[in-house]
Amino acid sequence: MFKSFATLLALVSALTLSSCTSGEPNPNASETLQQKDSLVLYSGRSEELVQPLIEMFEQESGITVEVRYAGSAELAAQLLEEGENSPADVFFSQDAGALGAVSKAGLFSTIPSELTSQVDKQYSATDGSWVGVSGRARILVYNTAKVSDLPVSVFDLAKPEWKNRIAIAPTNASFQSFVTAMRVVEGEAATTSWLEAMKSNAVIFEKNDAILNAVEQGVVDAGLINHYYWFAKAKEIGKDKMKSKLAAFESNDLGNLVNVAGAGIISDNSASRAFVDFLLSNKAQTFFAEQTAEYPLVAGIDIVEGLTPLTDVRNPKVDLSDLDTLDETLELIRAAGLI
Amino acid sequence: MRKPPALLKALGIVAALAALIPVGYLFFRLGAGSEKAIEELFRSRTIELLFNTTLLVVSVTLTALVIGFLQAWLTTRTNLGFGALFAVLATLPLAIPSYVMAFSFTATFPSISGFWPSWLVLSLATSPYVFLAVSAALVRTDASSEEVARTLGLTKWQVLVRVTWPQVRPAATASSLLVALYTLSEFGAIAILRFDTFTRAIYNAYRLSFDRTAAAALAVVLVLLTLVVIWFERRYRGDYLSISPASQKRVRISLGKARPLAVTGLLFIAVVAVGIPLYSLVNWSIIGSSTADLSQILEALLGSVSLAVLAGVAITVFALAIALWIVRYPTKLGRFVELSVWANHALPAIVVALALIFLGANLFPWLYQTTALLIFAFLILFLPNALGTMTTPIAQVPKSLEDVANSLGVKGNRSIFKVVLPIAAPGILAGAALVALTVLKELPATLLLRPTGTETLAVRLWSATEELAFSQAAPYALLLVVLGGLPALALNRQARKALSEVGK
Repeated sequence: MFKSFATLLALVSALTLSSCTSGEPNPNASETLQQKDSLVLYSGRSEELVQPLIEMFEQESGITVEVRYAGSAELAAQLLEEGENSPADVFFSQDAGALGAVSKAGLFSTIPSELTSQVDKQYSATDGSWVGVSGRARILVYNTAKVSDLPVSVFDLAKPEWKNRIAIAPTNASFQSFVTAMRVVEGEAATTSWLEAMKSNAVIFEKNDAILNAVEQGVVDAGLINHYYWFAKAKEIGKDKMKSKLAAFESNDLGNLVNVAGAGIISDNSASRAFVDFLLSNKAQTFFAEQTAEYPLVAGIDIVEGLTPLTDVRNPKVDLSDLDTLDETLELIRAAGLI
Repeated sequence: MRKPPALLKALGIVAALAALIPVGYLFFRLGAGSEKAIEELFRSRTIELLFNTTLLVVSVTLTALVIGFLQAWLTTRTNLGFGALFAVLATLPLAIPSYVMAFSFTATFPSISGFWPSWLVLSLATSPYVFLAVSAALVRTDASSEEVARTLGLTKWQVLVRVTWPQVRPAATASSLLVALYTLSEFGAIAILRFDTFTRAIYNAYRLSFDRTAAAALAVVLVLLTLVVIWFERRYRGDYLSISPASQKRVRISLGKARPLAVTGLLFIAVVAVGIPLYSLVNWSIIGSSTADLSQILEALLGSVSLAVLAGVAITVFALAIALWIVRYPTKLGRFVELSVWANHALPAIVVALALIFLGANLFPWLYQTTALLIFAFLILFLPNALGTMTTPIAQVPKSLEDVANSLGVKGNRSIFKVVLPIAAPGILAGAALVALTVLKELPATLLLRPTGTETLAVRLWSATEELAFSQAAPYALLLVVLGGLPALALNRQARKALSEVGK
């Protein structure tokens, strides 16, 4: 029985192999841009957030948008499997890592520079394959009743006094981007010793919001999260009910890394470009600032009350395009026994 | 011996080929980077994952078997009291998606994580599979042999082990197989409770490093583990005993002093498995300012129900064909079809979904992102659930009845429709209900393969928790549980039907 099973397996895999054709490269180049009045968007950002924005865009442009919502990483995996035959026009991702993976596979068209130039270079791909749309800062959240001496640097959290007091989410993409930045800037040795210290000091969570809840409930004293989770929770239960506060680390500290949500064009046409242009418009940028408390990446937009301006966030100088080396980071995190 | 009708064979072979698609895809991915795959497999971490996964599967399966069997025996054979109520309580965890159960546990006890809570949640979430299968078997078997054994001087315990157990063994092992493979493929609860298994590692490989080769390497190990589990089940299943429905009045076994203990135990399990999740869901709904809009909820409800019904019908047709084939016309080919259908049941849904994305987008663009392809994915994922539930009732229809029908002029295979299906119909409906229930709770494949714009309750629930608004997630979760409760209760009624027909 098992033998015949193996035979059939071989048959099926042979079939799959022979029927897989590698796609031709996109023959768009400098020809006239294809005009389209409909758009397929793969959105790694949630429907609750994005749908009102889509309706604004549809009204303004007359372009019909079909949106497919799922996790950014799942959509990236989906795009990789679809290859050249993807029905998607634009990929709107929650984080730079998923954009990097799709970019690496060569599935993005270069975005025109009049679009990318609206955003500070440090928040987009260096090769112009994707553009940053909104930013989030890594930050320390702490329970005010439990923490009095704030750490100056994220490296202070490696000290013994933080044993079992700091929460991290090693499987979370934002945490991994931060560790990747640490690896790129400080080197493997320093990163490994920090991770090993975290193995004994840290309480592990799956997601940022779980960390925030645990800090709020006093289960753990402090945690490393993205800044907007705190503002979202404050919006849900009321700012005065929050038992935790946010604190940045010292200037240029890696703990202050600013990462982005961004968009890339899969199929270059008038509708795709109009949508990316819209994401960078005052209207959309203000929308993100108000709805999610994220940082608008185009200059001159107001940010949510109580948030430090992006120009004052003492974030380290890191090329976000270097943060797509998640494999090597994962190796370090795994070697330290954190996932 | 008669030959299986061509239709049965055709349906069975289509299902087997469908089941082999994900496995074929995995080998294709491995072929694209075999060196890296081998490297991935020969790491100390793989051994650790193997250990964790085995530990969880064995412990959850044994626990669910013990819980489910005791619940079934207590509620059908003893003077426990409130048997019908306890049966409902034992069934209800089936309506709660394991990720909702895990989430409600962490919301109630924030500091829990690792092996023990994972073991607890999965054992409670899966014990209804065993409970329902064993209840149905117990209700249908003749209790008179137990009474004979008692009069011959065997103790209650000896009767349980030597007389009762052999009668329900095929049902118990078949449902344990479902439990074991469910545990192997579980991701949501494991991720929330942070216990590393192969499935979690596979998801991480896809989602964190976009490393499809590493994911495929780990998934192939998972398929091999599945084959080992299936081999064990085949070995210990025992023979199906075809039985005539019991018609005489039952004598209930007196529990004596153990009765309060049994009642307390069952109540405790119900509180943990049903009480905590429901309490937590209702609590979220109250705490947050729920803003979920009614038309959205209705749209999601409609999406969930129509997918569940479509998939339930489609999968039932295939499952019936295969069950009839392997029970009534045992052939080598039939056994191979059954094996291949089961072989990928432990694969995480994301693997099956990505295989169909790869195939759909590149070869069948007209099928890609259609309801048809999604139903096809459900067929691959959940055919074994239906098969596991339907095989026993079909096998229990006495062959002699078919012979009688034939002698009365029903020609050849038509006795299947005239005799076998009508008698086994309740069991077949139970299988369909189970599949519909499973489809209701499914998330990863639905998310990746659904037609753009199709909404289900599970998708809405996911999308609300992504935005961190638990208050918004709660109504969807509650509705999902309530909706899931319907087929779950139907299943329970079905399992106990003969009991109420006979009377107390």
